[in-house]
Amino acid sequence: MGVKKRISGCVATANAVKLADVDVICSYPIRPYTGIMSELARMVADGELDAEFVHGEGEHGQLSVVYGASAAGARTFTGSSGVGVTYAMEVYSPISGERLPVQMAIADRTLDPPGDFGSEQTDALCCRDQGWIQGWAATPQEALDNTLMYYRIGEDPRVLLPQYACQDGYFVSHILGEVDIPDAAQVKEFLPPYKNHHVLDPRKPQIIGAQMEPKMGPGMQYQRYLAIEGARKVIEEVHEEFGQIFGRKYAPWVEEFMTDDAEVAIFMQGGHSTTCKTVVKRLRNLGEKVGLVRLRTFRPFPTEQVREALSKFKAVGVVDNSVNFGISGGAGVLLTEARTALYGLGDKVSTVGFVGGLGGEMITHEEFYKMFQILKEVAKAGKAERQSYWLPYEL
Amino acid sequence: MIPLEKIPFAGTVPSPQTENEGMITGNWRTRRPILDVDKCTDCRICWISCPDSCINVSDTAPLTFNLKYCKGCGICNEVCPVGAISLVPELDFED
Repeated sequence: MGVKKRISGCVATANAVKLADVDVICSYPIRPYTGIMSELARMVADGELDAEFVHGEGEHGQLSVVYGASAAGARTFTGSSGVGVTYAMEVYSPISGERLPVQMAIADRTLDPPGDFGSEQTDALCCRDQGWIQGWAATPQEALDNTLMYYRIGEDPRVLLPQYACQDGYFVSHILGEVDIPDAAQVKEFLPPYKNHHVLDPRKPQIIGAQMEPKMGPGMQYQRYLAIEGARKVIEEVHEEFGQIFGRKYAPWVEEFMTDDAEVAIFMQGGHSTTCKTVVKRLRNLGEKVGLVRLRTFRPFPTEQVREALSKFKAVGVVDNSVNFGISGGAGVLLTEARTALYGLGDKVSTVGFVGGLGGEMITHEEFYKMFQILKEVAKAGKAERQSYWLPYEL
Repeated sequence: MIPLEKIPFAGTVPSPQTENEGMITGNWRTRRPILDVDKCTDCRICWISCPDSCINVSDTAPLTFNLKYCKGCGICNEVCPVGAISLVPELDFED
């Protein structure tokens, strides 16, 4: 079943949104995610998708529109990149706190300055604490599949949380890949209609997002914490179900590549991992015991599963494709999260942070070779002399 | 500590169908809306625009203002297409 096409991550996402039979879409142009909206606009205009296509006045407007639409019972879709993502910052917490399962596609892009269209995960990572489900797709196929899985996860009555379906700008959003587009019948089986506990209805007035006194604060926040923690089980179930219906079984938390007897490994998320896989394969051909652990779900962060995956190695290089100036460890977010996951294991696993691919540059094969070289030395010495490297200047 | 069961789902609560005695806002007013009944066309634009639902409409009597809650924002005065509502300083009244 399904149709095989060679399409970009943007077009793949648009196809998934069409299959999910979304009710309200709110657009605002910004590269590189804008490819999703132009494809969706064409689909709506050609009658392929029956949805309200609203032009937002800006990214803050986009999120506000889907916020209201979701509260009125619609399945919604929006997206952005770079500074667009940060412009809408105010609205993210209200949406997750009011348990509205909006989906936002983020084709990541560096934040200004300068006005660089290139990809960097910084924009989406800025939103990591907002209480949304989040993860990166490394291929157009994964972008399509994640979109469908995230609607299913987010709309599950045990979860009811919004989701950021992220993909690397250009590397995933614009470069073509083989995509198996499922047929509508399969998606209908997988994704039931959206139903919430609270729906704005003039016949039954309610206040969604009421003003509250501080004494309600701890309980409100705890409720949301329980929701995102409860999502873990749902994420696993949905991945299992997806595999059964569509024939593609993704690891819900981490994808391990050639890690079986690896002594050192790279830990990262997103499209640059594809480059890393090539290097891992070549090093393996040369007899080097290396591997890659690719993180598939970033929020909720799979602490236990990452700990289990990374504790096998003597040294782990964590690659951060983002800028997190002044952060503990001197590299990026993924390094701090990986280290927290490994807390308690003492010196058993040495970790080194590499900040790479900034500004939308590729992380080259040569850079990966050098990283593995450093990790080999760290494994031999039993500890890392240096905590972090900013590529390409410090490699 | 408020027990978790008492925290409404996502903070969603039913709209108060009646007045909320816990938050009386009428004493915030510095200007009071006054209706000129002869000018009023009963278009009800003021009723729908009032952010505090402080305008009472009926099919039989002229509209009245809920002075217990009216904050005196003046939106009714701004939107009235015939200028039937004017804002008079609160200090001009005895009550």
